[in-house]
Amino acid sequence: MSLSTQDRRARDTPKPPVTTRAAGDRPVAKLPLRYRLRRDRTLILMTLPAVALLLVFAYVPLAGNVVAFQDYDPYIADNAFEAISQSPWVGFEWFQQMVNDRLFWSALRNTLVIFLLQLTLFFPVPVLLALFINSFVRPRVRAVAQAILYLPHFFSWVLVVTVFQQMFGGAGLIAQTLREHGHEGFDLMTDPGLFKFLITFEMIWKDAGWGVIVFLAALASVSPDLYEASAMDGANRWRRMWHITLPALRPVVALLLVLQVGNALTVGFEQILLQRTAVGPGASEVLDTYVWNVGITNGGFSYAAAVGIVKGIFGLLLVLGANKIAHLMGEQGVYKK
Amino acid sequence: MTPNSPSTPSRRRFLGSSVVVAAAVGGGMPLLAACGGGSGGSKSEGTTTGKKLKDILPAFVPSEAVTPDIPAKNGSAAGFTTALPAGQLAVSVPRKLGQGSELSIMAPLWGTSPGQGNPYWTAMDEAVGVSVKWQNQDGNTYGQKLGAVLASSSVPDAVVVPGWELGGKIPSAIANKFADLGPYLSGDKVKDYPNLAAVPTGAWQRAVFAGKLRGLPMPAESTPNITPFYRADVFEEKGYEVPTTTREFYDLCKEINAPKSKVWACGDMTWSAYVFFGVLPEKPYYWKLVDGKLVNRYETPEYLEALEWSRSLYSAGFVHPDAKAEQGDLGTTFAAGNALMYNADISDWYGKTAVQRLDNPDFRMGAMDFFAHDGGAPVIYEASPSNIWCFVSKKADKKTVEDVLALANYTAAPYGTKEQRLKAYGLEGTHHTLKDGVLAKTEQGNNQVFATYEYIATSAPFRAYPDHPDVAKGVIEWQQRQGAHLKKPLFFGMQIQEPTRFTELNAQFEDLEKDIVRGRRKVGDMQQQVSDWKTKGGDKLRDWYKKLLDETGESAS
Repeated sequence: MSLSTQDRRARDTPKPPVTTRAAGDRPVAKLPLRYRLRRDRTLILMTLPAVALLLVFAYVPLAGNVVAFQDYDPYIADNAFEAISQSPWVGFEWFQQMVNDRLFWSALRNTLVIFLLQLTLFFPVPVLLALFINSFVRPRVRAVAQAILYLPHFFSWVLVVTVFQQMFGGAGLIAQTLREHGHEGFDLMTDPGLFKFLITFEMIWKDAGWGVIVFLAALASVSPDLYEASAMDGANRWRRMWHITLPALRPVVALLLVLQVGNALTVGFEQILLQRTAVGPGASEVLDTYVWNVGITNGGFSYAAAVGIVKGIFGLLLVLGANKIAHLMGEQGVYKK
Repeated sequence: MTPNSPSTPSRRRFLGSSVVVAAAVGGGMPLLAACGGGSGGSKSEGTTTGKKLKDILPAFVPSEAVTPDIPAKNGSAAGFTTALPAGQLAVSVPRKLGQGSELSIMAPLWGTSPGQGNPYWTAMDEAVGVSVKWQNQDGNTYGQKLGAVLASSSVPDAVVVPGWELGGKIPSAIANKFADLGPYLSGDKVKDYPNLAAVPTGAWQRAVFAGKLRGLPMPAESTPNITPFYRADVFEEKGYEVPTTTREFYDLCKEINAPKSKVWACGDMTWSAYVFFGVLPEKPYYWKLVDGKLVNRYETPEYLEALEWSRSLYSAGFVHPDAKAEQGDLGTTFAAGNALMYNADISDWYGKTAVQRLDNPDFRMGAMDFFAHDGGAPVIYEASPSNIWCFVSKKADKKTVEDVLALANYTAAPYGTKEQRLKAYGLEGTHHTLKDGVLAKTEQGNNQVFATYEYIATSAPFRAYPDHPDVAKGVIEWQQRQGAHLKKPLFFGMQIQEPTRFTELNAQFEDLEKDIVRGRRKVGDMQQQVSDWKTKGGDKLRDWYKKLLDETGESAS
């Protein structure tokens, strides 16, 4: 039995119940769920594959976190489910061990220090670069400049670290040039004290150009009329940037900042692992490499899971906190209730 | 790999530079003696000795296929300096043993996999009578893959496990996921596979896990694999003398070091330092008896002295900066003449020479004899008779197991046989050429013939370098000179699994060693670490080993 065209059209474009609509209200929240499902079904269908991916690869594995409360041995049975059911429960023992673990605290401290440094040194760079490109670089040069800036983003960390070693290492180009001219050589790559600056520097070189894209897009959406109008009103370059360009960037900056804060405890894994020996774990061990070494390299799955859970909870709190602050500052943030 | 022992996870790099050719005939004669029974605890911990062990080990029937040019002595490999034409090669597998199974095999590979269907693998499949689906994984990160694959429900038919990846819970995985090969190989049953029967008994003994013969071994020389190399050609040209004490070594470094002209004296020499100072090997052979009490490697003064000496090379600026940063392959730096001494697996001798002589026919490297730090004869701890094993999945049916054994019997063929020629050099004309007695791999050979079959099982150890006979001679003679100073550590030859509660105990030492020699931490920090180690379980571990010692005796022989 098929619906008549008219019926179908009536179903496809239902009229919202007029009564719930009041000016200045948020109508969406007041519509009944059934109605909204009908209205948005095409959109919902389109998101289903992504939701399925998320479920299978992000949410279902979350259940695996139970091993943090076990003395988990993945090898005692044929598959993970049996192994979990056969491993003994130990309650919060691993969390206790974590609190008493000097290395955990050292990793946490390194993580936070590196995060703060990246936030202050790395984060503003793409914004400044975008402003610079947008304001000063001629369109024809711009494409070339951007391509050059993006390029390092596509290098793997192995390559980046090698390039830095060849440039700034003890036998690198700069040290060797200095020696040839009668100075002492230097070795940036093995100095634990400078490590946090080194990796931030590497990050800027590799990814700052890539980060520019988002800001340039935001700038491109600003209507040229605004600039023209303000120029006609006598605004100089500086005032145009202050009153037009920067406000246009604000929502994007706030959004990225919130996301960045949520990732505070994830400060780079491969990059740091590659340079671990060069400066030692004292300077370079961060939470992610710590989990890797304890869990994957040494087989302490349960303990690593416990550290991972704490890291996840902490990250969630940071996102919620940062989002709240964004709202208080009048920005959209990541989401709005 | 420290000089004398199996190694810890991140030392896997060194095997990377080596095409690990088999090892240890001399030291590997039957090592059996009646000792106590196995030790208690969970089924994967402790060791297996005595009658129980004797009952499961395969019989030993030496191979008479070929006589080496330089016979093995003092635990060295046998040496070969010549290559026979294909027509004169011996045949050790007269009848195809494979029954046509499809075998999935996971093995490490240092290089790029040649891909399924390449002529080398196809020829091997045909010769053995099986069809192998290789699951090659990067050797440098193999342990991480291994842990995940073994935790899954689909374990390949055969899995190679190197000894330095036995950390964490891997021993538990071996006990639970891999088959007992005893019913196929114990006693005289091995005689169905003559090349496996010629594998030295000591190598089999180290392949006994959790009371069962589970591994197919890759036998190794008794002499250390880590070798202190120097640039013999440069030394001769400049008139440098090979040092015989640590003081002389230091002074020589001072003489060589010239960063301005891009020449540093050496790479990281810590592993050699362990031998210079007579430091005990690593787990599980890291104990010695002093007045009836077990003393651990970490507690010995030698250990600290070795670290302190290695540290002095760093602080004087003798160590190449890339070695300090652990970036790149130091062997390449050495070959380029930017560092004149380094230590690496002994197979680097051939590996580096073969490559360098293409451009520089005068390239020569040498290995210095180990010395005691103050001069005189060194204490060199004997290396384990086997340190890489191939296991068969517990789920494999009888035919699959037999086909893995057929493959192992083929790969274990000794040098000078048709089988070994195919395994190590591929097809004549395609992968190698033999002209005027010079056996050389072609470019295709270099790209396709990787040492991945080596890990299934190999014969008693040999070194055959017919293209560079001086290297073969140098390697064997060096091994025989070092072999004269060999000393067996406690528990020698046993495959020992510590209880899982101790698995984390030693995890911090390697990082700390690196920190100390590079000057980031003080030598005194090690003493603090050792006292932590004692209270966190080191003393209990000592008791556990003492009990084991009382049950089993000092060594497997």
